[in-house]
Amino acid sequence: MTLILRLALALMLLGPGPVLAQDLQPALQAEAERVERASRRHVEEVLETLAANGSPNLQPFLEAWQDKGVVRAEDGLFYYGQREGDVWALTDIDSGAEAGTVDRRAARQLKPNAGVRGVIAAALVQFQLSDPRPGARRAALASLERDPDAALLPALRASIEDEPDPAIRALKTDLERRLTARFGEDPAARIAAIDRLGASVQDRAVLSRILATDRIVAEGGAAPEGAIVAGPSDLDEAERLALLVEAGLAPAPVTRMARDMALTVAITDGMVAGRPVATLESEAARWEAYEALAAGGAARPRPAEAAIAEALASHAVLDIYREADAGVIAAAEAASAAQSARLARHGAVDLGLDALSLASIYFLAAIGLAVTFGVMGVINMAHGEFIMIGAYTGYVVQTIIPDYTLSLIVALPLAFCTAGLAGVALERLVIRHLMHRPLETLLATFGISVALQQIAKNVFGTQARPLTSPDWLAGSWIISDAISISWIRVAIFVLALVFLAAIVALLRRTRLGLEVRAVTQNPGMAASMGIDPGRIGMLTFGLGSGIAGVAGVAIGLYAQVTSEMGAGYIVQSFMTVVVGGVGSVFGTLAGAGLIGGLQKGIEWLNPSNTLAAQTFMILFIIAFIQIRPRGIVPQKGRFAQ
Amino acid sequence: MTRTPLIRRPDVIAVLSCLAVLTLGATLMAEAGLISTSFVKTLGKTLCLCLAAVAMDLVWGYTGILSLGHMAFFGIGGYAIGMWLMRARTEDVVAAQLAQRPLPPTPAEVDQAAATQIFGVVGSDTFPWMWVFADMLWVQLLAVVLVPGLLALVFGWLAFRSRVTGVYLSILTQAGTLALSLWLFQNDSGLRGNNGLSGLQNIPGLTHVPQSTLSLWFLWASAAALGGFYVLARWTVAARFGSALRAIRDDEARLRFLGYDVEGFKLVVFTGTSMACGVAGALYYPQAGIVNPAEIAPIASIYLAVWVAIGGRGHLWGAILGAAAVSLLSSWFTGGGAPDIDLGVYVIRWTDWWLVLLGLGFVAVTLLAPQGLAGLVLRLARRRPEAPARTLEAARAEPGE
Repeated sequence: MTLILRLALALMLLGPGPVLAQDLQPALQAEAERVERASRRHVEEVLETLAANGSPNLQPFLEAWQDKGVVRAEDGLFYYGQREGDVWALTDIDSGAEAGTVDRRAARQLKPNAGVRGVIAAALVQFQLSDPRPGARRAALASLERDPDAALLPALRASIEDEPDPAIRALKTDLERRLTARFGEDPAARIAAIDRLGASVQDRAVLSRILATDRIVAEGGAAPEGAIVAGPSDLDEAERLALLVEAGLAPAPVTRMARDMALTVAITDGMVAGRPVATLESEAARWEAYEALAAGGAARPRPAEAAIAEALASHAVLDIYREADAGVIAAAEAASAAQSARLARHGAVDLGLDALSLASIYFLAAIGLAVTFGVMGVINMAHGEFIMIGAYTGYVVQTIIPDYTLSLIVALPLAFCTAGLAGVALERLVIRHLMHRPLETLLATFGISVALQQIAKNVFGTQARPLTSPDWLAGSWIISDAISISWIRVAIFVLALVFLAAIVALLRRTRLGLEVRAVTQNPGMAASMGIDPGRIGMLTFGLGSGIAGVAGVAIGLYAQVTSEMGAGYIVQSFMTVVVGGVGSVFGTLAGAGLIGGLQKGIEWLNPSNTLAAQTFMILFIIAFIQIRPRGIVPQKGRFAQ
Repeated sequence: MTRTPLIRRPDVIAVLSCLAVLTLGATLMAEAGLISTSFVKTLGKTLCLCLAAVAMDLVWGYTGILSLGHMAFFGIGGYAIGMWLMRARTEDVVAAQLAQRPLPPTPAEVDQAAATQIFGVVGSDTFPWMWVFADMLWVQLLAVVLVPGLLALVFGWLAFRSRVTGVYLSILTQAGTLALSLWLFQNDSGLRGNNGLSGLQNIPGLTHVPQSTLSLWFLWASAAALGGFYVLARWTVAARFGSALRAIRDDEARLRFLGYDVEGFKLVVFTGTSMACGVAGALYYPQAGIVNPAEIAPIASIYLAVWVAIGGRGHLWGAILGAAAVSLLSSWFTGGGAPDIDLGVYVIRWTDWWLVLLGLGFVAVTLLAPQGLAGLVLRLARRRPEAPARTLEAARAEPGE
């Protein structure tokens, strides 16, 4: 294979000069039988011969051959054949002229098998690297990437110079670096290429190929001559023994299963080796019986433990590098370590982004609760259902307005209104009458929550409803191969920032905000100043619930809308508010940041188990509340104790 | 307060005689074939729930601690007994299977086969550490009371020590319950993840007893446990200890200034009731047949509070009334027992609308009848209901304070 490629390459470099322009047909005729009935065994030899001919028609011929587009006519000549009904339309291989038609039985189509086609494809790569069609060049590069071949390295290098397309040239340069790192002529060139390897998946794959190891059993614990040891293998005793047994270097122990088989076979009249079967109900008794069997020659004797221990002691199982050059290995190890460090850094950034996006979701879900809890001092267990109401509002709007962008623009304020109105109704009808009975408020709003969930289930069914995001929110923002974040999460982050700014502005810069703060700090005094605490309470409750509705639309965009979606956030939201400090917007922000960061951090420590992460997070929060019972930002005013 | 002997108090007499009539009646009717085994089990389970509700009333109605975690203790009790039921029964079954083999099984083989049988669904074939003593009944019976008790002790000590009260404590208990149920939901928790423990209705060593008889035994046991705990609870709240509890509910700070160890009292009540819930769970789940993490989810504990509130806080018999009424109504409605209402344009199916009714009904009770069913009964009995407890919150509500 290598030889033929070199030959073909030499031809190609010389270019399609007229000097070498020769007909291919004679060369084909010389190998006619082996071309017609090509086999995996001979095809390389055949290709070599054809290449030696030096015809410029070789590439199109190989392409046609690979695609089963070559036929051999009755006169023994090869043609390009096009099947047209019952006849073959023939084309001359060298002149490209039409050569008439023959009956389909008068020509035999060449059908190379998969193995042969593979060889042909590999031989074609070098032609395709300089093919005028960019698509063919890209395909050739992809094929070479899949199946790297040292022999094609010179062809690749040669083709870089004349590459007109800068993108493909970059691809070629990258591939050349990878091939040089693996197959370069001398260690210095390889080390230089390794040092230039980047962070792409393919480059990392090259590094791991160079650093690939084989597991060998080393007699006396020493590695064979010339091999570079990567280190002792991390196998335990039983696994090492299995390897030694496989290599014939240690006696095979008798397994419990083999022992029980031997004992079962030896049962005669309820006795084994002179013992009643019923006594064999412990490991010790079974081994004793087996040894008695072995002593009588009816079973293979157990190898002495000393022999096994000796075999284990005198042989080491080592991992040795396939690569023979120590310099290359050192360079690859260094590059690999640098890549791992870089990946770890990017992973940390990615984790930070994840935590940030989770925190913004928690913030959105909890900020409404923080407003109502902080001002009214009531625990609203139905808060999660306001999130659900907002999400279902978004879903209903989307079924009416088919344009996703427009429906989102309509849904956000509408969700605010729906959930806000529901909140005002709840405040007027229930919460007002339970003023200053917080535990009963908690339970009454729980009743509302149960009823609302079940109503949603009855109206919309139990299956999850999709809330489709517009196209411009689809996909992810990919910053590097390890850092990416979906646009929806970015949008939720932005939404959280907007709400943070809006609420802070509302509380600090408006008349309403002033009155809300006054009621929070001292309702009696606020009332005597002419502020109506009832009105403020109602407005605040509407505001908090409305925000929950908007949060519902946002959450529905990346999760699905179900009647239970709110219930999933309610405990988290409470914890966010309590950890942050009741009644403080920035406290809620801090709480959301802490909880989101914590959850992602614990998930990172144990990525397979998100449930355990949540468990540990809740335990941490319980411990945190021990230390700071009033949260990160403690409240001052009516409910401060 | 005049000291009437405990056993002669009207509510004690009423509760005990109701229980006696119920168990005797159920036994006779079951023997006569008038009620089915599953109905007997429903009755038995309801009695267990009533026991948990009495415990909840002690901790919330009398002491003012709205714990949203007592059903978790109930579930833990079920898990503790379930481990023994499942392991002992599986080992019996597996040993019988292995006895068919030519060689008699070794204890290790039986263990391994039983573990594979139990934990195969979560991809394991060994018993986790917490199952080490699961084949000893007395250890698991101790665990039924000790594990909930210990958890409550640690949790309560931490929470009460840092003076976490009111809604904060409710949220904290709810978070703890959520943590427990999430942990149990994992496959490698050692308790079969979301599969839970199943087949608990088969009692090892009693496989020859038919379920119809077993269900009656459990009914009696549940009734005895409820009656016993009711008398104990009634005795507790009638004593000075009970006065201290009510004082904690009404004004914790004042009691503390009087030199009482408020945290100690709370801890005793919290821990004691958690143990009672553990016992209730241990009696409940062999009748239910299966226990899984969903049973421990926070919502179950909120429902417990709902029952007590509907029944009437501060009356132990009210808690029994509430739990029995709501859980029996619930199984009647969701079981399809209630007739659908055809409105012409829409048919109200109670299986769909029962929870709406329950939720709104609960709001109505909280708003309109804070005394719950107990208040109603007392009014019907032409007695002036006890003056509503003047809680600190109620006092705050009044202007001028």
